[in-house]
Amino acid sequence: MAGAIIENMSTKKLVIVGVILLLFQAFAFMVGGLIAPSPTTAVHYLATKCVDTVKHRQETKWFMPWGPDQCAKIRTFDEAMAKKIEANNIVFAVHIPLPNKEMSSWFQFMLVILQFDIAFKMYNQIEEGVVVTVDVGLAYRDDTFSEWTEMAHSFEQRKLSCNFTTAKTFENEGRYYECDPLPFMEVGSVAHKYYLLNIRLPVNERKKINVGIGEIKDIRLVSIHQNGGFTKVWFAMKTFLTPSILIIMIWYWRRITLMSRPPVLLEKVIFALGISMTFINIPVEWFSIGFNWTWMLLFGDIRQGIFYSMLLSFWIIFCGEHLMDQTERNRFSVYWKQVGPIVFGSFCLFIFDMCERGVQLTNPFYSIWASDVGTELAMAFIIVAGICACLYFLFLCFMVFQVFRNISGKRTSLPAMSKARRLHYEGLIFRFKFLMLVTLFCAAMTVIFFIISQVNEGHWHWGEHTVQVNSAFFTGIYGMWNLYVFAIMFLYAPSHKRYGDEQSSGQCITGDAGANSGEDIQLTTTITNVEGPTEIYKMTGKQAQE
Amino acid sequence: MSAHVGILLEMFCETLRMIYLGCFLLLCGLTHVMASYPIWWSLAVGHQYSSLGTQPILCGSIPGLVPKQLRFCRNYVEIMPSVAEGVKIGIQECQHQFRGRRWNCTTVNDNLAIFGPVLDKATRESAFVHAIASAGVAFAVTRACAEGSATICGCDTRHKGPPGEGWKWGGCSEDVEFGSMVSREFADARENRPDARSAMNRHNNEAGRMSLNDNMFLKCKCHGLSGSCEVKTCWWSQPDFRVIGDYMKDKYDSASEMVVEKHKESRGWVETLRPKYNYFKPPTERDLVYYESSPNFCDPNPETGSFGTRDRICNLTSHGIDGCDLLCCGRGHNTRTEKRKEKCHCIFHWCCYVSCQECVRVYDVHTCK
Repeated sequence: MAGAIIENMSTKKLVIVGVILLLFQAFAFMVGGLIAPSPTTAVHYLATKCVDTVKHRQETKWFMPWGPDQCAKIRTFDEAMAKKIEANNIVFAVHIPLPNKEMSSWFQFMLVILQFDIAFKMYNQIEEGVVVTVDVGLAYRDDTFSEWTEMAHSFEQRKLSCNFTTAKTFENEGRYYECDPLPFMEVGSVAHKYYLLNIRLPVNERKKINVGIGEIKDIRLVSIHQNGGFTKVWFAMKTFLTPSILIIMIWYWRRITLMSRPPVLLEKVIFALGISMTFINIPVEWFSIGFNWTWMLLFGDIRQGIFYSMLLSFWIIFCGEHLMDQTERNRFSVYWKQVGPIVFGSFCLFIFDMCERGVQLTNPFYSIWASDVGTELAMAFIIVAGICACLYFLFLCFMVFQVFRNISGKRTSLPAMSKARRLHYEGLIFRFKFLMLVTLFCAAMTVIFFIISQVNEGHWHWGEHTVQVNSAFFTGIYGMWNLYVFAIMFLYAPSHKRYGDEQSSGQCITGDAGANSGEDIQLTTTITNVEGPTEIYKMTGKQAQE
Repeated sequence: MSAHVGILLEMFCETLRMIYLGCFLLLCGLTHVMASYPIWWSLAVGHQYSSLGTQPILCGSIPGLVPKQLRFCRNYVEIMPSVAEGVKIGIQECQHQFRGRRWNCTTVNDNLAIFGPVLDKATRESAFVHAIASAGVAFAVTRACAEGSATICGCDTRHKGPPGEGWKWGGCSEDVEFGSMVSREFADARENRPDARSAMNRHNNEAGRMSLNDNMFLKCKCHGLSGSCEVKTCWWSQPDFRVIGDYMKDKYDSASEMVVEKHKESRGWVETLRPKYNYFKPPTERDLVYYESSPNFCDPNPETGSFGTRDRICNLTSHGIDGCDLLCCGRGHNTRTEKRKEKCHCIFHWCCYVSCQECVRVYDVHTCK
């Protein structure tokens, strides 16, 4: 055997494979753009101001903003002032979702953002760096008549970051501050139909709790959840992709085990890439429909993280194995310097994720950004991860540069080589350039679509059709990397074919090389000819060089 | 005159209350003018408004609704409190924006025409009031949707999936679209006559809603892998209504004067508006238009609805319209000193509680002669 399938395939067949892959790619984009709705929905909620009339409560009472047993409401706080209602007796109630709707486990997750409407008053301004203390309870129920069941209750602190853009004069009293939205709540599964949030802003002058937070007019919440339609399309895609990648993986590994030599590093890495892709593909999310698994969000992050670090490691090792220099590689330990930053960086992000989404498993209101120490810690993790990423890309760029330098070096000496050697190097160069091209294409597509989805408002109107750009981005890019892994496993699997008329087994090359006064020590570094990277072969190589 | 007939028809169809109203209109001798006056704005003042929270709205008891509005009211009775609230917000904003001017957006309590005869003429002031009221309605309805007090908001049938499943499949459309729709359906319902005033009101109502839409701002949240912007969700937020007020005030200052043109069409004479001055940029959809000049509002005049500026407090140091020279129309001003007890050294809670000391301060108060 000599070389991978890609070298031995005729151009015609390669074009056919390319076109088929492109068709699948287009299909992946279309599924997202035309069938799926936008990936997520944001819903506005304006908290209803309820009055807690009972003085000393024995048990927690839940306040409904509307419906049959709604609470006693006030429209404005002037009303409360007139009725002498204290701040501690005002409950901001928000029912998720809005009337006549219900939540569904297809929504996958729900995160809620908190926004304060604070009016400017000359004598009641927001103090610098003030912290709001929120007493918040979350309850659920699955029908419209049963009692609410408490899900979480917590005292949370959030730092207000508001600024007043106009001049602070009497003229501008009553204008609102511009406040940054605050992260409020995150739940990893939407297992219940109705949720109820009761928020209080208790005041304690002695302990300086909620003093100097300005004149709050309203509390607004925005809840974000994944659209059910998008989830369905996404699941369908995963369910379809899992067996396709699994089958090609099995086929690939069978090919490798069929050979007489043990698999080389690059082959193992490609296989590992396939495994991590399958790991991400396996639609375990189906279980979230039936079970209340809040850790699914975290699990999804971990799976994605594993795939990304695998992909990055693959690029490094692929470049390294095609360096065509004099060093002996084929061992994972050679790459610790390049793979180290990836592992360390993803470990940092993992710790960060555990701190945020991990803690949210027990307290959905937790946010690492809420406290100063947490913010610094989170920033530290992210900066370290960023440095690792930079380091990695420097390594990668340097390696790619080296490969190209070696390629141009080899180019000049190519005509002087024997046919087998020439074919071997041409194969190497072709393989490298092909992957380089495909990878660059995929990366560019990802970046372009990412930018489009960021700057775009979410959908394009195209005739009477609406194209959901964001959904197309997700399904298209997800499909693309699946096809990428698929193509790599297919095209870089060892081929059974032989080089045309040349009887070029590994042995042949060695013989050839021996005759041609050793330029072929490099051959040991590549996959193709290491069929039986035996001691004899190496020795002959060395002898020849001497 | 079709509107006149419409009103007559309505009177027959409606309850005693409406007949009483009809009598009122005839008694006032203002039938033609009143046909164009949005009397339903009176929902936002007086006892009508204060009972909003406690009693259900009876559509028949709202004065001055045309049949289309009445139908709308009956179909969507749950959002009528927000409509009233919207007009109220609009009026409050109008009074804030015009607080130091000769015309200060005064409302009269004992009249169904809440601004008095000021709005009878197609002036800049009329343009502003219509625009801000229509924006207010859209604003308040959008708010009510977010509060959950109106159940019919948002989800329309545009989205795919079986009916009722739209929300689960792809979520709902933005509430602000619904708010604008309500404002358009309700506030514009009466402006369907082929005369110039109707055209002007339609334009200005739309300009008000447009300015609300233009001032919406986008907020986003990243929630992808480890909170990265891989997944980002954005939403449109309504601004503080003061921002709309400021914007509309700018539009008031730069409003375009039009002239009325008459065309003969198949349905009869139709009046349209054309910019008066060709060398100015023609008004866009967002600009206010008017075609009659405003009275100067210096002296009381029951015909124009001017209350005059006598006894209004003016600002001695200002050279603007709120300064004593301009506000008092050159009549001069009186000055008196006033001792006022004021709250000072206050400690505020975010809600409902202020502990203060009382201080006495002396002010010079200038009022127009």
